[in-house]
Amino acid sequence: MKKFRQHVRSLLINSFALPSDVILELPRITIIGQIHVYIENHQGLATYSEKELKLKINKGYVQIIGKEFVLKMMLPEEILLEGTISDIKFIPE
Amino acid sequence: MRQVQGTYLTGYVTISVKGTKPEMFFQRCTSHGITVWNIRKIAEDTCEGNIKVADIRTARKLIRGSKYKLYFIDKKGYPFLFKRFMNRKPLLISLILSFLLVIFLSNIIWDVKITGVPKDIEEKISKQLTNYGIHKGAWILSLDSPNTIQQKLVKDVPELLWVGVNQKGTTYYLEGVEKLIVKEEEPNQPRNLIATKKGVIQNMYVAKGLPMVKVNDYVEPGDLLVSGALKVAENNEEDDEKEDKQFDIVPAEGEIRAKTWYEVDVTIPLEYNYEELTGNKEKKYYVQIAGLNVPVWGFGKPTFENVHYEIIEKPIHFFKWEMPIKIVDNILSEKKYYQDERTREEAVQIGIEQAKSELLLRLGPDAKILSEKVLHESIEDGKVRMTIYITAEENIVEIQPINQGD
Repeated sequence: MKKFRQHVRSLLINSFALPSDVILELPRITIIGQIHVYIENHQGLATYSEKELKLKINKGYVQIIGKEFVLKMMLPEEILLEGTISDIKFIPE
Repeated sequence: MRQVQGTYLTGYVTISVKGTKPEMFFQRCTSHGITVWNIRKIAEDTCEGNIKVADIRTARKLIRGSKYKLYFIDKKGYPFLFKRFMNRKPLLISLILSFLLVIFLSNIIWDVKITGVPKDIEEKISKQLTNYGIHKGAWILSLDSPNTIQQKLVKDVPELLWVGVNQKGTTYYLEGVEKLIVKEEEPNQPRNLIATKKGVIQNMYVAKGLPMVKVNDYVEPGDLLVSGALKVAENNEEDDEKEDKQFDIVPAEGEIRAKTWYEVDVTIPLEYNYEELTGNKEKKYYVQIAGLNVPVWGFGKPTFENVHYEIIEKPIHFFKWEMPIKIVDNILSEKKYYQDERTREEAVQIGIEQAKSELLLRLGPDAKILSEKVLHESIEDGKVRMTIYITAEENIVEIQPINQGD
């Protein structure tokens, strides 16, 4: 059953050209140079400090490392991060 | 960043949260629909962020059940600025006072300008104006409308033929026209006098010219009444030789009054309505703000059944602009409707009077009505229809220039 659902989803993405983040419930991460990261569709804040931001996503976490982090804006499922970014990592659960 | 735009207008506060993992408090805020921005971690247990003023209550509720501590660090935005301004009483009072002063100064007369008349009449006018209360420094609101002033002035200053009163902001402009007594121009063009109407001549007064008709003559329109061509006596040939012309042509002058006849049709209804003011009055005052009347004096409905309203609006000025605030006087006068019936005889009498006054209006001030007779009367649909035969006496003279040729 689960495999079938996965199959249907990839079929939807391929044949209707729907954005994959919506269908697969994955985060959409937009990075502007080194200074901004815009994360949509995350599932909550795990850690935040000046040097690190860790967000829960569908399966696991996304970790952003850098310095002088400021959360420019925080909305449910959306975060705009400002600072100097050096790393973005996906950490599986 | 759309969510953060305009927060300056509604106001926002910077909060500081203390506790272990303070960022998780902001996470809870966002999941409760509070927008948070500019979050920065100051220390391991301290986190700062901005929230809107409207969200403070919700944030306080969230903090109550948790282990975090909430501090307000800064407040920014227009509401706080406004509050601070309101706290500076002297500044506020002086602002209000200056505003009132400008309104006050915008509503008094600064200048009265009179143009178009010589100095002496100007002096008279300005004296009259002072009598009416129009002078430098007078309160505009308490004055009559320019129209009434105009009428009063023309009545009270007999030298004035016409005066235009114009209020432009705080200045009254008066433009007068002096009454000049113009002597009637001596008629120097040779002319005849002819009849305009048919009639029987009653009275003749010929100042110049040769009368061609006699009293009790019947004349038709266009008939020559007074000739401008004087025939020089033929038997006096010596004189004739002196003057080359056989006729001496003069401008004829005179007044010839004749009896004329008119037939006038009038219709008088037997039933009639009229309204009358009883003289009972009530006054109401309003302050009109942006089209909305706020009563100041005179409340409640008038006790009268039928009311005649008279509304006088007086706008208040701020510099040259009219403010949306007006002072409205409302004079309510009681009126009564009457319905009445006339008898046929009364209707006939009224019809005759009406016909006479109508005719007099048509004929002008020197006409006189000699007699009248009802030729025909009938009642139709509750109305009396009459044909009245009126005999009048009037001046029937018309000027006809004599064409002498080149």
